[in-house]
Amino acid sequence: MASLTAGGAAPSTRRRSRPGRRRELVAGYLFALPFLALFVVFTVGPVLASFGMSFTDLRSSDVRNPLAVEAVGLKHYTDLFADETFRQAAFNTAYFVVIGVPLTMGLALAVAVGLNSGITRFKAFFRVGYYLPVVTSIVAVAVVWRFLLEPDSGLVNTMLGYAGIDGPSWLNSPTWAMPSMIVMAAWRNMGYLVVIFLAGLQLVPKEMHEAAAIDGAGAWNRFRHITLPMLRPTLLFGAVITMIGYLQFFEEPFVMTQGGPLDKTLSVAYYTYNQFGFGNYSYAAAMAYVLFVVIALVTAVQFRVLGRRD
Amino acid sequence: MTTTRPELPAVPAGTRPAAPTPRRATRRPAGFGEPTAQPWIYVVLTGGLVLLVGPFLWMLLGSFRPDRELKQVPPAWLPQDPTLENYRNLFDRLDFPTYFFNSAVVALAITLGNLVFCSMLGYALAKLDFPGKRVIFVLVLATLMVPGVVTFVPLFVLVSNMGMVNTFPGLIFPFLAGPFGVFLMRQFIQSLPDELIHAARVDGAGEWRIFRSIILPLCKPALATLGILTFLTSWNNFLWPLVVAQSEEKYTLPVALAIYAIGENRSDYGLLMAGSVVIILPVLVVFLLLQRHFVRGIAMTGIK
Amino acid sequence: MRQLSGPRGAGVVALVTALALTGCGRDEGTSTEEEPAGKVAGGKASGDITVWALGAEGEKLGEIAKDFEAENPDAKVKVTVIPFDAAHNKISTAIAGGQTPDVTTVGTTWLPEFAATGALDATPTDLIDPSAFFEGSWATTEVDGTSMGVPWYTETRLIYYRKDLAEKAGVTPEDGWSQEDLKAFAKGLQDKAGAKWGINLQPGGQGSWQTYMPFAWQRGAEIVDGEEFAFNTEPMQEALAYYASFFEEGISPTDLAEGALETGFINGDIGAFVSGPWHMGILRDQGGAGFEDKWALAPMPTEESSTSFTGGGDLVVFKDAKNRDAAWKFVDFLTQPEQQQKLYELVGSLPAVQSTWETGELSTDPLLTAFGDQLQDATSSPAIETWEQVTAPLDDAIEQVSLGQSDPEGALSKAEQEANSIGFGS
Repeated sequence: MASLTAGGAAPSTRRRSRPGRRRELVAGYLFALPFLALFVVFTVGPVLASFGMSFTDLRSSDVRNPLAVEAVGLKHYTDLFADETFRQAAFNTAYFVVIGVPLTMGLALAVAVGLNSGITRFKAFFRVGYYLPVVTSIVAVAVVWRFLLEPDSGLVNTMLGYAGIDGPSWLNSPTWAMPSMIVMAAWRNMGYLVVIFLAGLQLVPKEMHEAAAIDGAGAWNRFRHITLPMLRPTLLFGAVITMIGYLQFFEEPFVMTQGGPLDKTLSVAYYTYNQFGFGNYSYAAAMAYVLFVVIALVTAVQFRVLGRRD
Repeated sequence: MTTTRPELPAVPAGTRPAAPTPRRATRRPAGFGEPTAQPWIYVVLTGGLVLLVGPFLWMLLGSFRPDRELKQVPPAWLPQDPTLENYRNLFDRLDFPTYFFNSAVVALAITLGNLVFCSMLGYALAKLDFPGKRVIFVLVLATLMVPGVVTFVPLFVLVSNMGMVNTFPGLIFPFLAGPFGVFLMRQFIQSLPDELIHAARVDGAGEWRIFRSIILPLCKPALATLGILTFLTSWNNFLWPLVVAQSEEKYTLPVALAIYAIGENRSDYGLLMAGSVVIILPVLVVFLLLQRHFVRGIAMTGIK
Repeated sequence: MRQLSGPRGAGVVALVTALALTGCGRDEGTSTEEEPAGKVAGGKASGDITVWALGAEGEKLGEIAKDFEAENPDAKVKVTVIPFDAAHNKISTAIAGGQTPDVTTVGTTWLPEFAATGALDATPTDLIDPSAFFEGSWATTEVDGTSMGVPWYTETRLIYYRKDLAEKAGVTPEDGWSQEDLKAFAKGLQDKAGAKWGINLQPGGQGSWQTYMPFAWQRGAEIVDGEEFAFNTEPMQEALAYYASFFEEGISPTDLAEGALETGFINGDIGAFVSGPWHMGILRDQGGAGFEDKWALAPMPTEESSTSFTGGGDLVVFKDAKNRDAAWKFVDFLTQPEQQQKLYELVGSLPAVQSTWETGELSTDPLLTAFGDQLQDATSSPAIETWEQVTAPLDDAIEQVSLGQSDPEGALSKAEQEANSIGFGS
């Protein structure tokens, strides 16, 4: 029987040959096979094709003869950085992510912990409720949020009015449009993370909390030293997923502001979508891959900071 | 059944967390070791809930209001002239059974496929050792980071060349292998203790048996989560079914709703609300069914 | 964490890219001219005809198609309705994947773009007569002098105004009134009839060019000059200054919430607005009983002309159509006056065929005849592939000047530069 020393064995350091190592290898490939077969054909293929496309000058007018295009090397990539609108979109995206991700994660974590901390009544009710924004039609969401943010009669400005503050025209103000989008996105996407964090919180054994409580540790301390470390893989997952999602944020500006006012809520993903709409397929592809590189770098950083040492 | 007292490994902050010992959840309503949660938690959570549920309520109430009422600014909450005409419209004008069936088949197939394939690969990446493992994980993660819009057209050309346009395979296959699921399962399974697997191997269990009988049951929260999220995305998917379907018999619900509710210059908000409510219901049902697994106790397979 | 840029990954990518690119290269030798439009064989249509129709028109197309099937017993029309939302996406993706039907409806502003893909079949001149259609509508099908489709339904923009408020204020719109007259009219509604806003115009943002351009066209502006865009011309600047003055002088709101237009018009906050025929139905639905009498339509003002914007839907046949001859015969059928009349009755869309306007409601109802008259002097955007993209800098210019952040010349010169860097496409 394997000895149960503290910490458990790291799976990948077992380089020594063991009985059944070959079996493990075969099993590994067999388990991987169904996914990989589908994945390579339907995901990797198109990704490589579109990546190649970004080095040509392919437009929508070329789709019937996709090979009759010129290779232009890195032209689109260099053009991007000279493109003023792209720079604005890049800034907007960074702004959105830097504020939005911590906000959403913080709120979701608080809610998940709250929901997990012995709410005995209405558990299902709460869980469904927090998840609802995720499933509510974006049209309904847009209508209600527009109402909330209406400059004259909207709820937000009315409440601010009680406090004596003259609220701005949120969606039309170059300064306030983006913060409004951030709050709306946090509100909308919290539910995903709550669901995920709840799953992760199940891995935190209650006895550890009990034992620590008996030893006199307060709630906050227990949270910091027991819950958070246990939650690491889940937090990493949540952070990566949210970051990946937010770097590609699109829906909120699409329905609420159409990228305005004056492109102040235009995200890189939205701009890419527009370029596809214009038929500039290869330019849009280049933009998408620039975004990809950013996402990859950011994810790598997150893995380093929050991840396990493999 | 016995409840075992686990050892408490020393966990210096900043290192890999120790594999937690799975145990059956007791009936104690403990949170942080306290009896039932304080009232203030209920208050705060309910407050948040009201904010979040608002639009859904508005949508629900709105589905009982005539279109003209919905277009008023500012939007009122209670229907002034409640009516069932939106729902009647919905079921009369749309070939509802066909679209519902299509949506259901596609969403269920994609969800089940993901649950199976992603957990298999996730397990392999988390617990099995084989060459190329890292490359696969990086590849999967990388494609997760590619903005979907860019692969849309090449994917359609591929599917079209494979003769899968306007077929169920065309609607389903491209999404059966979702990188998100692999990532989720791998992270989750990584936290499960290796000792379980070692012990089972020593006992002579085959790899598939280990996966099926030991790992999967422990993964219920993750599987439930993946199931809901995948079902939600595939059920609500609009653009791909729109493009792949060439005839109306293959349309899914979101596509059908868009046809009838959104026009060139004017939209029928009433129909849109009613349709959206109806479209959400299956997702909520799936959510309610699966959500108890979020906290279902990890089955006891005591090590000691 | 290792990136895909590890040696293995990079190798794979490089290989695939290299393979893909070896087959590449534009063939400079092929001419980009369209082949002359093929003739259509005579006789009745036969076989299956697959048709895509958008939104509301699509739903009713099946009914109209039955008459065609009655006349052509060997033919069967299969209509698939596609949502308006994302139809553009669906059509362009279908072209890419080679999965196009025989016939589809397209928005008039989309036609040049699809024509540039080479996927459209040129309109057979032996079958369809251009003079049957409104000039502006036919122009939406012409790319480089060749017609690549047929207008099906059309629309144009007029000024909706509150008749009762105008009476109260003692102002009336007149045929041939000038742009300044329009402004005075709007101001009158505000000052003397208590409207909060005299007229609603779109202060920039997506699509605002459709509201602004008529004023420029009325002053004789031409958007295109040879192979370049000509935004920064005198008529354009004057028109933009005129347009922006509505906002400067507080006659038009700069910040109207979505949906507030109809509500505002109905309760008298907004005295007038510019829009197309669809608002007739909207106002009828939302205004309730008795509101019908309170509003009317005014023509566009006249400077050098009284041009308005025209849009609508065109029918196109694909080159890869499996049943080309029958498809064109069906298209021809749809543009007969009786079918155009039927389309109007079933859907409410305005017919693009002029003779339909000579009988029935279209010739007697004052609201409809107002549109019919304006259609005689209406034009659309230039038929170039990149127009959708070019509208963005133009909309930006309109926004900047309307909000007082820039002067017309500066904004338009910037827009012109950007537009010319985009060019006309391939």
